[in-house]
Amino acid sequence: MISLDRASLRYGPILGLSPTTFELPDGGGITGLLGPNGAGKSSLLQLLSGLLPPSGGEVEVFGAAPFRNPAVLARLGLVPEGDRLPTGLRADRWLRMMGELSGLSGEGLKAAVVRVLATVGMSDRAHLTFARMSKGMRQRIRLAQALLHEPELLILDEPFNGLDPEARLTLMALLRDLAAKGTRILVSSHILGEIAQLTDRILLLFRGRLLAEGTVTEIRQLLDRHPVELRLTGEAQVLARWAVEQPELAALRMEEDAVVISVRSPRDILPRLQKAAAEGGIPLRALDPLDLNLDAVFQYLTKDHA
Amino acid sequence: MSAAPSSLATIRATARGYAPRVLQGRGWVLAALVMAPVGLSILIFTISRMRGLDANPGEALRIFHEGLVKMMLPIMALVAAPAGIREDLEQRTLPLLLVRPAPAWALPLGKGLPWFAWGAAWLILGALGLQLVGGDPTLLPGRILALVGAWWGELAFMTLLGLFFKRGTLWGALYFFLWEPLVRIFPPFLQRLTFTHHIESLAGSRAAQVQANQLLAQEQVTTHPALALLALLAFGALCWALAGWKLHRTPVGLAGSEAEG
Repeated sequence: MISLDRASLRYGPILGLSPTTFELPDGGGITGLLGPNGAGKSSLLQLLSGLLPPSGGEVEVFGAAPFRNPAVLARLGLVPEGDRLPTGLRADRWLRMMGELSGLSGEGLKAAVVRVLATVGMSDRAHLTFARMSKGMRQRIRLAQALLHEPELLILDEPFNGLDPEARLTLMALLRDLAAKGTRILVSSHILGEIAQLTDRILLLFRGRLLAEGTVTEIRQLLDRHPVELRLTGEAQVLARWAVEQPELAALRMEEDAVVISVRSPRDILPRLQKAAAEGGIPLRALDPLDLNLDAVFQYLTKDHA
Repeated sequence: MSAAPSSLATIRATARGYAPRVLQGRGWVLAALVMAPVGLSILIFTISRMRGLDANPGEALRIFHEGLVKMMLPIMALVAAPAGIREDLEQRTLPLLLVRPAPAWALPLGKGLPWFAWGAAWLILGALGLQLVGGDPTLLPGRILALVGAWWGELAFMTLLGLFFKRGTLWGALYFFLWEPLVRIFPPFLQRLTFTHHIESLAGSRAAQVQANQLLAQEQVTTHPALALLALLAFGALCWALAGWKLHRTPVGLAGSEAEG
Protein backbone atom coordinates (compact mmCIF):
# COMPACT_ATOMS: atom_id res chain seq x y z
CA MET A 1 0.00 0.00 0.00
CA ILE A 2 2.77 2.45 0.95
CA SER A 3 6.32 2.17 -0.27
CA LEU A 4 9.19 4.60 0.17
CA ASP A 5 12.49 3.94 -1.55
CA ARG A 6 15.14 6.35 -0.33
CA ALA A 7 12.56 9.12 -0.50
CA SER A 8 13.77 12.47 0.75
CA LEU A 9 12.37 15.97 0.95
CA ARG A 10 14.20 19.28 1.02
CA TYR A 11 12.86 22.76 1.66
CA GLY A 12 15.57 24.72 -0.10
CA PRO A 13 18.70 24.25 2.00
CA ILE A 14 16.77 22.56 4.82
CA LEU A 15 16.45 18.81 4.85
CA GLY A 16 12.90 17.92 5.86
CA LEU A 17 13.30 14.17 5.47
CA SER A 18 16.48 12.19 4.96
CA PRO A 19 16.43 9.35 2.43
CA THR A 20 13.93 6.97 3.97
CA THR A 21 12.92 3.47 3.02
CA PHE A 22 10.01 1.51 4.43
CA GLU A 23 6.83 -0.27 3.40
CA LEU A 24 3.40 -0.61 4.88
CA PRO A 25 1.44 -3.60 3.64
CA ASP A 26 -2.18 -3.65 2.50
CA GLY A 27 -4.99 -4.07 4.95
CA GLY A 28 -6.47 -2.22 7.86
CA GLY A 29 -4.82 -1.23 11.07
CA ILE A 30 -3.31 1.80 12.71
CA THR A 31 0.30 2.81 12.37
CA GLY A 32 1.68 5.54 14.58
CA LEU A 33 4.22 8.01 13.26
CA LEU A 34 6.17 9.27 16.22
CA GLY A 35 8.76 11.93 16.68
CA PRO A 36 9.37 15.25 18.38
CA ASN A 37 8.49 18.53 16.69
CA GLY A 38 10.66 18.98 13.62
CA ALA A 39 11.38 15.27 13.28
CA GLY A 40 10.00 15.11 9.74
CA LYS A 41 6.57 13.66 10.43
CA SER A 42 4.66 16.27 8.46
CA SER A 43 7.19 16.04 5.62
CA LEU A 44 6.63 12.31 5.39
CA LEU A 45 2.86 12.70 5.49
CA GLN A 46 2.99 15.36 2.79
CA LEU A 47 4.91 12.97 0.57
CA LEU A 48 2.41 10.20 1.19
CA SER A 49 -0.64 12.37 0.66
CA GLY A 50 0.67 13.75 -2.62
CA LEU A 51 0.99 17.35 -1.51
CA LEU A 52 4.71 17.39 -2.22
CA PRO A 53 6.82 15.31 -4.59
CA PRO A 54 9.99 13.78 -3.17
CA SER A 55 13.24 15.68 -3.73
CA GLY A 56 14.93 12.33 -4.23
CA GLY A 57 13.99 8.66 -4.27
CA GLU A 58 10.51 7.30 -4.86
CA VAL A 59 7.21 7.36 -3.06
CA GLU A 60 4.44 5.00 -4.04
CA VAL A 61 0.97 4.77 -2.57
CA PHE A 62 -1.33 2.11 -4.01
CA GLY A 63 1.44 1.34 -6.50
CA ALA A 64 1.78 4.85 -7.98
CA ALA A 65 3.37 8.21 -7.21
CA PRO A 66 0.76 10.22 -5.32
CA PHE A 67 1.72 13.80 -6.31
CA ARG A 68 -1.22 15.28 -8.31
CA ASN A 69 -2.34 11.74 -9.11
CA PRO A 70 -6.16 11.54 -9.01
CA ALA A 71 -6.15 7.74 -9.01
CA VAL A 72 -4.20 7.73 -5.74
CA LEU A 73 -5.86 10.78 -4.20
CA ALA A 74 -9.30 9.24 -4.71
CA ARG A 75 -8.28 6.45 -2.34
CA LEU A 76 -6.78 8.45 0.51
CA GLY A 77 -7.98 11.03 2.98
CA LEU A 78 -5.85 13.59 4.78
CA VAL A 79 -6.48 15.46 8.01
CA PRO A 80 -3.73 18.08 8.08
CA GLU A 81 -2.36 19.50 11.30
CA GLY A 82 -4.15 22.41 12.93
CA ASP A 83 -7.72 23.59 12.85
CA ARG A 84 -7.62 25.93 9.89
CA LEU A 85 -10.69 25.98 7.69
CA PRO A 86 -11.85 28.49 5.08
CA THR A 87 -13.35 31.56 6.70
CA GLY A 88 -16.96 32.48 6.34
CA LEU A 89 -18.35 29.16 5.15
CA ARG A 90 -20.91 26.81 6.65
CA ALA A 91 -19.66 23.35 7.52
CA ASP A 92 -22.38 21.39 5.71
CA ARG A 93 -22.02 23.36 2.47
CA TRP A 94 -18.25 23.15 2.61
CA LEU A 95 -18.43 19.39 3.14
CA ARG A 96 -20.75 19.15 0.18
CA MET A 97 -18.18 20.94 -1.95
CA MET A 98 -15.37 18.71 -0.70
CA GLY A 99 -17.49 15.68 -1.53
CA GLU A 100 -18.01 16.95 -5.06
CA LEU A 101 -14.26 17.52 -5.38
CA SER A 102 -13.84 13.88 -4.38
CA GLY A 103 -16.09 12.79 -7.23
CA LEU A 104 -19.32 12.31 -5.31
CA SER A 105 -22.62 13.61 -6.63
CA GLY A 106 -26.38 13.34 -6.28
CA GLU A 107 -27.84 11.11 -3.62
CA GLY A 108 -24.48 9.52 -2.93
CA LEU A 109 -23.08 12.90 -2.00
CA LYS A 110 -26.01 13.74 0.28
CA ALA A 111 -25.75 10.38 1.99
CA ALA A 112 -21.99 10.76 2.42
CA VAL A 113 -22.34 14.18 4.08
CA VAL A 114 -25.03 12.87 6.43
CA ARG A 115 -22.94 9.80 7.22
CA VAL A 116 -19.70 11.63 8.04
CA LEU A 117 -21.46 14.27 10.11
CA ALA A 118 -23.06 11.49 12.14
CA THR A 119 -19.72 9.69 12.40
CA VAL A 120 -17.99 12.72 13.91
CA GLY A 121 -21.02 13.70 15.99
CA MET A 122 -21.69 17.01 14.25
CA SER A 123 -25.07 16.38 12.63
CA ASP A 124 -26.86 18.99 14.70
CA ARG A 125 -24.19 21.68 14.37
CA ALA A 126 -23.28 21.40 10.71
CA HIS A 127 -25.20 24.55 9.82
CA LEU A 128 -22.74 26.69 11.81
CA THR A 129 -20.03 28.70 10.13
CA PHE A 130 -16.47 27.73 10.98
CA ALA A 131 -15.97 31.01 12.83
CA ARG A 132 -18.66 29.97 15.32
CA MET A 133 -17.17 26.55 15.98
CA SER A 134 -14.85 25.54 18.78
CA LYS A 135 -11.45 24.06 18.03
CA GLY A 136 -12.72 20.57 18.76
CA MET A 137 -15.69 21.04 16.44
CA ARG A 138 -13.46 22.26 13.63
CA GLN A 139 -11.20 19.27 14.15
CA ARG A 140 -14.18 16.98 13.78
CA ILE A 141 -15.18 18.68 10.54
CA ARG A 142 -11.64 18.27 9.26
CA LEU A 143 -11.88 14.59 10.00
CA ALA A 144 -15.29 14.44 8.35
CA GLN A 145 -13.96 15.88 5.08
CA ALA A 146 -11.33 13.16 4.96
CA LEU A 147 -13.93 10.42 5.42
CA LEU A 148 -16.41 11.62 2.79
CA HIS A 149 -15.20 9.33 0.01
CA GLU A 150 -14.50 6.37 2.34
CA PRO A 151 -10.74 6.31 1.78
CA GLU A 152 -8.74 3.14 2.04
CA LEU A 153 -5.87 5.08 3.60
CA LEU A 154 -6.52 7.78 6.18
CA ILE A 155 -3.62 10.06 7.11
CA LEU A 156 -3.88 12.23 10.21
CA ASP A 157 -1.25 14.77 11.19
CA GLU A 158 -1.26 15.49 14.93
CA PRO A 159 -5.03 15.03 15.17
CA PHE A 160 -5.16 15.18 18.97
CA ASN A 161 -3.65 18.64 19.29
CA GLY A 162 -5.99 20.99 21.07
CA LEU A 163 -8.63 18.40 21.84
CA ASP A 164 -10.00 18.02 25.34
CA PRO A 165 -9.66 14.58 26.98
CA GLU A 166 -13.18 13.52 26.10
CA ALA A 167 -12.74 14.49 22.46
CA ARG A 168 -9.45 12.60 22.36
CA LEU A 169 -11.08 9.43 23.60
CA THR A 170 -13.91 9.85 21.12
CA LEU A 171 -11.47 10.33 18.27
CA MET A 172 -9.42 7.32 19.36
CA ALA A 173 -12.52 5.16 19.48
CA LEU A 174 -13.50 6.39 16.04
CA LEU A 175 -10.08 5.61 14.59
CA ARG A 176 -10.12 2.13 16.11
CA ASP A 177 -13.55 1.56 14.64
CA LEU A 178 -12.43 2.68 11.18
CA ALA A 179 -9.35 0.48 11.40
CA ALA A 180 -11.48 -2.48 12.41
CA LYS A 181 -13.57 -1.93 9.29
CA GLY A 182 -10.51 -2.19 7.08
CA THR A 183 -9.21 1.37 6.76
CA ARG A 184 -5.45 1.69 6.98
CA ILE A 185 -4.71 4.63 9.29
CA LEU A 186 -1.44 6.49 9.60
CA VAL A 187 -1.49 8.90 12.50
CA SER A 188 1.32 11.19 13.61
CA SER A 189 1.93 12.57 17.03
CA HIS A 190 4.73 13.86 19.19
CA ILE A 191 2.94 12.64 22.30
CA LEU A 192 3.88 9.05 22.87
CA GLY A 193 1.01 8.20 25.17
CA GLU A 194 -1.52 9.00 22.49
CA ILE A 195 0.02 6.62 20.01
CA ALA A 196 0.58 3.95 22.64
CA GLN A 197 -3.16 4.00 23.38
CA LEU A 198 -3.99 3.55 19.71
CA THR A 199 -1.48 1.07 18.43
CA ASP A 200 1.85 -0.55 19.10
CA ARG A 201 2.84 -0.45 15.43
CA ILE A 202 5.03 2.60 15.09
CA LEU A 203 7.44 4.43 12.84
CA LEU A 204 9.89 6.50 14.80
CA LEU A 205 11.28 9.64 13.19
CA PHE A 206 13.95 11.96 14.51
CA ARG A 207 15.66 14.85 12.76
CA GLY A 208 14.38 13.78 9.40
CA ARG A 209 15.48 10.17 9.79
CA LEU A 210 13.46 7.05 10.26
CA LEU A 211 15.05 5.60 13.39
CA ALA A 212 13.00 2.47 13.77
CA GLU A 213 9.84 0.70 12.74
CA GLY A 214 7.91 -2.13 14.29
CA THR A 215 6.10 -2.76 17.54
CA VAL A 216 7.26 -1.23 20.78
CA THR A 217 8.64 -4.60 21.81
CA GLU A 218 10.45 -5.12 18.52
CA ILE A 219 12.03 -1.73 18.71
CA ARG A 220 13.00 -2.32 22.31
CA GLN A 221 14.80 -5.45 21.21
CA LEU A 222 16.94 -3.35 18.90
CA LEU A 223 18.33 -1.56 21.88
CA ASP A 224 20.85 -4.12 22.99
CA ARG A 225 23.20 -1.55 24.35
CA HIS A 226 20.46 0.09 26.37
CA PRO A 227 19.73 -1.81 29.57
CA VAL A 228 16.19 -2.52 30.64
CA GLU A 229 15.26 -1.53 34.16
CA LEU A 230 13.46 -4.11 36.27
CA ARG A 231 12.18 -3.63 39.78
CA LEU A 232 12.41 -6.78 41.88
CA THR A 233 10.24 -6.49 44.98
CA GLY A 234 11.04 -8.69 47.95
CA GLU A 235 13.96 -9.02 50.33
CA ALA A 236 16.25 -6.47 48.75
CA GLN A 237 19.53 -7.76 50.15
CA VAL A 238 18.97 -11.31 48.92
CA LEU A 239 17.70 -10.19 45.57
CA ALA A 240 20.73 -7.90 45.14
CA ARG A 241 23.08 -10.72 45.99
CA TRP A 242 21.46 -12.88 43.31
CA ALA A 243 21.53 -10.05 40.77
CA VAL A 244 25.24 -9.26 41.03
CA GLU A 245 26.01 -12.81 40.00
CA GLN A 246 24.19 -12.39 36.69
CA PRO A 247 26.40 -11.55 33.68
CA GLU A 248 23.73 -9.32 32.11
CA LEU A 249 23.69 -6.90 35.05
CA ALA A 250 24.65 -3.35 34.11
CA ALA A 251 23.61 -1.41 37.21
CA LEU A 252 21.86 -1.90 40.50
CA ARG A 253 19.98 0.44 42.83
CA MET A 254 18.58 -0.38 46.25
CA GLU A 255 15.10 0.70 47.30
CA GLU A 256 13.04 -0.06 50.37
CA ASP A 257 11.77 -3.65 49.94
CA ALA A 258 13.02 -3.73 46.38
CA VAL A 259 16.03 -3.63 44.16
CA VAL A 260 16.10 -1.99 40.73
CA ILE A 261 18.42 -3.65 38.31
CA SER A 262 19.49 -2.60 34.83
CA VAL A 263 20.11 -5.59 32.63
CA ARG A 264 21.09 -6.21 29.05
CA SER A 265 19.36 -8.94 27.10
CA PRO A 266 16.33 -9.29 29.37
CA ARG A 267 15.19 -12.30 27.34
CA ASP A 268 18.17 -14.23 28.76
CA ILE A 269 17.93 -13.19 32.37
CA LEU A 270 14.15 -13.31 32.79
CA PRO A 271 13.82 -17.11 32.48
CA ARG A 272 16.57 -17.61 35.07
CA LEU A 273 14.90 -15.09 37.35
CA GLN A 274 11.55 -16.81 37.06
CA LYS A 275 13.13 -20.21 37.61
CA ALA A 276 15.00 -19.04 40.69
CA ALA A 277 11.85 -17.51 42.13
CA ALA A 278 9.79 -20.61 41.39
CA GLU A 279 12.35 -22.84 43.06
CA GLY A 280 12.46 -20.58 46.11
CA GLY A 281 16.01 -19.52 45.48
CA ILE A 282 15.13 -15.83 45.76
CA PRO A 283 12.36 -14.15 47.77
CA LEU A 284 10.70 -12.39 44.83
CA ARG A 285 7.21 -10.99 45.39
CA ALA A 286 6.82 -8.87 42.25
CA LEU A 287 8.62 -8.07 39.03
CA ASP A 288 7.97 -4.75 37.26
CA PRO A 289 9.65 -3.67 34.04
CA LEU A 290 10.16 0.08 34.49
CA ASP A 291 11.04 1.25 31.04
CA LEU A 292 9.54 -1.21 28.63
CA ASN A 293 7.17 1.43 27.31
CA LEU A 294 7.03 3.79 24.42
CA ASP A 295 8.45 6.77 26.27
CA ALA A 296 11.55 4.86 27.24
CA VAL A 297 12.07 3.54 23.73
CA PHE A 298 11.66 7.00 22.32
CA GLN A 299 14.09 8.57 24.76
CA TYR A 300 16.73 5.93 24.21
CA LEU A 301 16.56 6.12 20.45
CA THR A 302 16.53 9.88 20.20
CA LYS A 303 19.31 10.24 22.76
CA ASP A 304 21.40 7.92 20.68
CA HIS A 305 20.97 9.99 17.53
CA ALA A 306 21.11 13.43 19.09
CA MET B 1 -13.93 4.67 -3.85
CA SER B 2 -15.22 7.48 -6.05
CA ALA B 3 -14.02 8.53 -9.51
CA ALA B 4 -12.15 11.79 -9.98
CA PRO B 5 -14.47 14.68 -10.88
CA SER B 6 -14.26 16.31 -14.28
CA SER B 7 -12.77 19.77 -14.75
CA LEU B 8 -16.23 21.24 -15.27
CA ALA B 9 -17.58 19.55 -12.15
CA THR B 10 -14.59 20.88 -10.22
CA ILE B 11 -15.17 24.45 -11.39
CA ARG B 12 -18.89 24.20 -10.66
CA ALA B 13 -18.39 22.70 -7.20
CA THR B 14 -15.72 25.22 -6.19
CA ALA B 15 -17.68 28.19 -7.50
CA ARG B 16 -20.84 27.07 -5.72
CA GLY B 17 -18.99 26.19 -2.54
CA TYR B 18 -17.25 29.54 -2.22
CA ALA B 19 -20.11 31.69 -3.56
CA PRO B 20 -21.30 32.69 -0.05
CA ARG B 21 -17.98 34.45 0.50
CA VAL B 22 -18.98 37.29 -1.83
CA LEU B 23 -21.84 38.23 0.50
CA GLN B 24 -19.39 39.03 3.27
CA GLY B 25 -17.32 42.14 3.98
CA ARG B 26 -15.02 42.02 0.98
CA GLY B 27 -17.93 41.53 -1.37
CA TRP B 28 -19.66 44.65 -0.09
CA VAL B 29 -16.42 46.60 -0.47
CA LEU B 30 -16.48 45.63 -4.15
CA ALA B 31 -20.06 46.83 -4.43
CA ALA B 32 -19.17 50.11 -2.73
CA LEU B 33 -16.21 50.67 -5.04
CA VAL B 34 -18.59 50.67 -8.01
CA MET B 35 -21.55 52.39 -6.49
CA ALA B 36 -19.73 55.12 -4.57
CA PRO B 37 -18.68 57.21 -7.60
CA VAL B 38 -21.87 56.43 -9.48
CA GLY B 39 -24.08 57.13 -6.49
CA LEU B 40 -22.22 60.35 -5.73
CA SER B 41 -22.62 61.60 -9.28
CA ILE B 42 -26.32 60.73 -9.20
CA LEU B 43 -26.68 62.66 -5.96
CA ILE B 44 -24.89 65.70 -7.35
CA PHE B 45 -26.90 65.45 -10.56
CA THR B 46 -30.17 65.29 -8.59
CA ILE B 47 -29.26 68.27 -6.41
CA SER B 48 -28.28 70.26 -9.51
CA ARG B 49 -31.57 69.49 -11.17
CA MET B 50 -33.47 70.48 -8.03
CA ARG B 51 -31.69 73.83 -8.09
CA GLY B 52 -32.57 74.26 -11.71
CA LEU B 53 -28.98 73.95 -12.91
CA ASP B 54 -28.13 72.24 -16.18
CA ALA B 55 -26.38 68.92 -15.89
CA ASN B 56 -22.92 68.57 -17.35
CA PRO B 57 -23.33 66.33 -20.41
CA GLY B 58 -19.79 65.04 -20.02
CA GLU B 59 -20.29 63.95 -16.42
CA ALA B 60 -21.21 60.33 -17.21
CA LEU B 61 -18.24 60.01 -19.51
CA ARG B 62 -15.92 61.44 -16.88
CA ILE B 63 -17.20 59.16 -14.13
CA PHE B 64 -16.90 56.15 -16.43
CA HIS B 65 -13.33 56.80 -17.54
CA GLU B 66 -11.81 58.57 -14.56
CA GLY B 67 -13.78 56.89 -11.81
CA LEU B 68 -14.70 53.37 -12.84
CA VAL B 69 -12.10 52.44 -15.44
CA LYS B 70 -8.95 54.13 -14.17
CA MET B 71 -9.53 53.93 -10.43
CA MET B 72 -12.25 51.55 -9.22
CA LEU B 73 -11.84 48.65 -11.60
CA PRO B 74 -8.15 48.08 -10.70
CA ILE B 75 -8.91 48.50 -7.01
CA MET B 76 -11.69 45.93 -7.32
CA ALA B 77 -9.24 43.46 -8.84
CA LEU B 78 -6.70 44.23 -6.10
CA VAL B 79 -9.38 43.61 -3.46
CA ALA B 80 -11.07 40.54 -4.93
CA ALA B 81 -8.12 38.51 -6.23
CA PRO B 82 -6.56 37.87 -2.79
CA ALA B 83 -9.89 36.32 -1.75
CA GLY B 84 -9.52 33.73 -4.49
CA ILE B 85 -7.09 30.84 -4.49
CA ARG B 86 -4.43 33.09 -2.91
CA GLU B 87 -6.53 33.17 0.26
CA ASP B 88 -6.32 29.39 0.62
CA LEU B 89 -2.59 29.56 0.09
CA GLU B 90 -2.15 32.13 2.84
CA GLN B 91 -4.63 30.54 5.24
CA ARG B 92 -3.03 27.15 4.64
CA THR B 93 -6.31 25.58 3.70
CA LEU B 94 -5.10 24.84 0.16
CA PRO B 95 -3.88 21.31 1.07
CA LEU B 96 -7.47 20.38 1.86
CA LEU B 97 -8.32 21.12 -1.77
CA LEU B 98 -5.15 19.77 -3.33
CA VAL B 99 -5.47 16.39 -1.65
CA ARG B 100 -8.74 15.74 -3.50
CA PRO B 101 -8.69 13.91 -6.83
CA ALA B 102 -10.12 17.00 -8.58
CA PRO B 103 -7.87 18.66 -11.21
CA ALA B 104 -5.87 21.34 -9.40
CA TRP B 105 -5.69 23.60 -12.45
CA ALA B 106 -9.45 24.21 -12.28
CA LEU B 107 -9.39 25.53 -8.71
CA PRO B 108 -8.28 29.16 -9.37
CA LEU B 109 -11.04 29.66 -11.92
CA GLY B 110 -13.61 27.93 -9.70
CA LYS B 111 -12.75 30.16 -6.77
CA GLY B 112 -12.58 33.28 -8.94
CA LEU B 113 -15.91 32.85 -10.71
CA PRO B 114 -18.14 33.95 -7.80
CA TRP B 115 -16.07 37.12 -7.47
CA PHE B 116 -16.25 37.71 -11.19
CA ALA B 117 -20.03 37.27 -11.23
CA TRP B 118 -20.54 39.47 -8.18
CA GLY B 119 -18.28 42.26 -9.45
CA ALA B 120 -19.77 42.07 -12.95
CA ALA B 121 -23.28 42.43 -11.55
CA TRP B 122 -22.33 45.62 -9.72
CA LEU B 123 -20.44 46.99 -12.71
CA ILE B 124 -23.51 46.50 -14.90
CA LEU B 125 -25.58 48.22 -12.25
CA GLY B 126 -23.05 51.05 -12.15
CA ALA B 127 -23.10 51.44 -15.93
CA LEU B 128 -26.89 51.58 -15.84
CA GLY B 129 -26.69 54.13 -13.05
CA LEU B 130 -24.56 56.38 -15.23
CA GLN B 131 -27.49 56.63 -17.63
CA LEU B 132 -29.26 58.64 -14.95
CA VAL B 133 -26.63 61.37 -15.14
CA GLY B 134 -26.86 61.72 -18.88
CA GLY B 135 -25.02 58.75 -20.27
CA ASP B 136 -25.36 58.25 -24.01
CA PRO B 137 -27.75 55.28 -24.49
CA THR B 138 -25.99 54.25 -27.69
CA LEU B 139 -22.74 53.75 -25.74
CA LEU B 140 -24.33 51.70 -22.94
CA PRO B 141 -23.80 48.20 -24.44
CA GLY B 142 -20.19 49.04 -25.23
CA ARG B 143 -19.59 50.38 -21.71
CA ILE B 144 -21.11 47.30 -20.12
CA LEU B 145 -19.06 44.98 -22.31
CA ALA B 146 -15.93 47.02 -21.65
CA LEU B 147 -16.40 46.95 -17.86
CA VAL B 148 -17.28 43.26 -17.67
CA GLY B 149 -14.57 42.24 -20.13
CA ALA B 150 -11.93 44.30 -18.33
CA TRP B 151 -13.09 42.97 -14.95
CA TRP B 152 -12.70 39.42 -16.27
CA GLY B 153 -9.19 40.17 -17.51
CA GLU B 154 -8.00 42.20 -14.52
CA LEU B 155 -9.31 39.72 -11.94
CA ALA B 156 -7.63 36.84 -13.77
CA PHE B 157 -4.43 38.87 -14.13
CA MET B 158 -4.32 39.63 -10.41
CA THR B 159 -5.05 35.99 -9.54
CA LEU B 160 -2.14 34.95 -11.72
CA LEU B 161 0.20 37.50 -10.13
CA GLY B 162 -0.91 36.27 -6.69
CA LEU B 163 0.22 32.76 -7.54
CA PHE B 164 3.47 33.76 -9.21
CA PHE B 165 4.65 36.36 -6.70
CA LYS B 166 4.44 36.66 -2.95
CA ARG B 167 3.79 40.37 -3.43
CA GLY B 168 1.42 39.92 -6.34
CA THR B 169 -0.83 42.72 -5.13
CA LEU B 170 2.09 45.16 -5.20
CA TRP B 171 3.06 44.16 -8.74
CA GLY B 172 -0.56 44.47 -9.79
CA ALA B 173 -0.86 47.93 -8.28
CA LEU B 174 2.32 49.01 -10.06
CA TYR B 175 0.95 47.72 -13.34
CA PHE B 176 -2.43 49.38 -12.98
CA PHE B 177 -1.31 52.72 -11.61
CA LEU B 178 2.08 53.22 -13.27
CA TRP B 179 1.94 51.33 -16.56
CA GLU B 180 -1.67 51.85 -17.62
CA PRO B 181 -1.64 55.69 -17.40
CA LEU B 182 1.28 55.71 -19.81
CA VAL B 183 -1.07 54.53 -22.56
CA ARG B 184 -1.37 58.19 -23.62
CA ILE B 185 2.26 58.39 -24.60
CA PHE B 186 2.89 54.82 -25.66
CA PRO B 187 3.73 53.93 -29.24
CA PRO B 188 0.95 51.97 -30.99
CA PHE B 189 2.14 48.50 -30.12
CA LEU B 190 2.42 49.19 -26.38
CA GLN B 191 -1.01 50.81 -26.31
CA ARG B 192 -2.45 47.40 -27.07
CA LEU B 193 -0.77 46.01 -23.96
CA THR B 194 -3.02 48.04 -21.70
CA PHE B 195 -6.55 47.40 -20.48
CA THR B 196 -7.32 51.07 -21.04
CA HIS B 197 -6.85 50.82 -24.78
CA HIS B 198 -9.26 47.90 -25.13
CA ILE B 199 -11.80 49.46 -22.78
CA GLU B 200 -11.79 52.66 -24.80
CA SER B 201 -12.03 50.69 -28.02
CA LEU B 202 -15.19 49.06 -26.67
CA ALA B 203 -16.74 51.91 -24.74
CA GLY B 204 -15.84 54.73 -27.08
CA SER B 205 -12.87 57.03 -26.88
CA ARG B 206 -13.14 60.18 -24.86
CA ALA B 207 -10.91 62.05 -27.32
CA ALA B 208 -13.46 64.82 -27.60
CA GLN B 209 -13.22 65.53 -23.89
CA VAL B 210 -9.47 65.52 -23.35
CA GLN B 211 -7.51 68.71 -22.71
CA ALA B 212 -4.47 69.87 -24.61
CA ASN B 213 -2.10 68.49 -21.99
CA GLN B 214 -3.70 65.05 -22.30
CA LEU B 215 -3.10 64.73 -26.01
CA LEU B 216 -1.31 61.64 -27.10
CA ALA B 217 2.36 61.96 -27.72
CA GLN B 218 2.17 59.07 -30.13
CA GLU B 219 -0.22 58.09 -32.84
CA GLN B 220 -3.43 56.72 -31.39
CA VAL B 221 -4.26 53.26 -32.64
CA THR B 222 -7.72 51.88 -33.06
CA THR B 223 -8.87 48.33 -32.45
CA HIS B 224 -12.22 47.03 -33.63
CA PRO B 225 -14.58 46.71 -30.64
CA ALA B 226 -15.13 43.02 -31.28
CA LEU B 227 -11.41 42.42 -31.34
CA ALA B 228 -10.96 44.48 -28.19
CA LEU B 229 -13.59 42.39 -26.40
CA LEU B 230 -11.99 39.22 -27.70
CA ALA B 231 -8.60 40.41 -26.50
CA LEU B 232 -9.91 41.07 -22.97
CA LEU B 233 -11.71 37.72 -22.78
CA ALA B 234 -8.79 35.80 -24.26
CA PHE B 235 -6.30 37.51 -21.96
CA GLY B 236 -8.46 36.65 -18.96
CA ALA B 237 -8.81 33.05 -20.09
CA LEU B 238 -5.06 32.84 -20.62
CA CYS B 239 -4.41 34.19 -17.11
CA TRP B 240 -6.86 31.70 -15.54
CA ALA B 241 -5.18 28.88 -17.46
CA LEU B 242 -1.71 29.99 -16.43
CA ALA B 243 -2.83 30.33 -12.80
CA GLY B 244 -4.20 26.79 -12.98
CA TRP B 245 -1.00 25.51 -14.56
CA LYS B 246 1.07 27.23 -11.87
CA LEU B 247 -1.01 25.70 -9.10
CA HIS B 248 -0.88 22.28 -10.71
CA ARG B 249 2.89 22.40 -11.06
CA THR B 250 3.74 23.97 -7.72
CA PRO B 251 4.11 21.69 -4.71
CA VAL B 252 2.19 23.35 -1.90
CA GLY B 253 2.71 21.81 1.49
CA LEU B 254 1.00 22.10 4.83
CA ALA B 255 3.12 25.10 5.77
CA GLY B 256 2.12 26.85 2.57
CA SER B 257 5.72 26.63 1.46
CA GLU B 258 7.23 25.02 -1.56
CA ALA B 259 9.59 22.10 -1.37
CA GLU B 260 12.16 21.09 -3.91
CA GLY B 261 10.33 18.60 -6.05
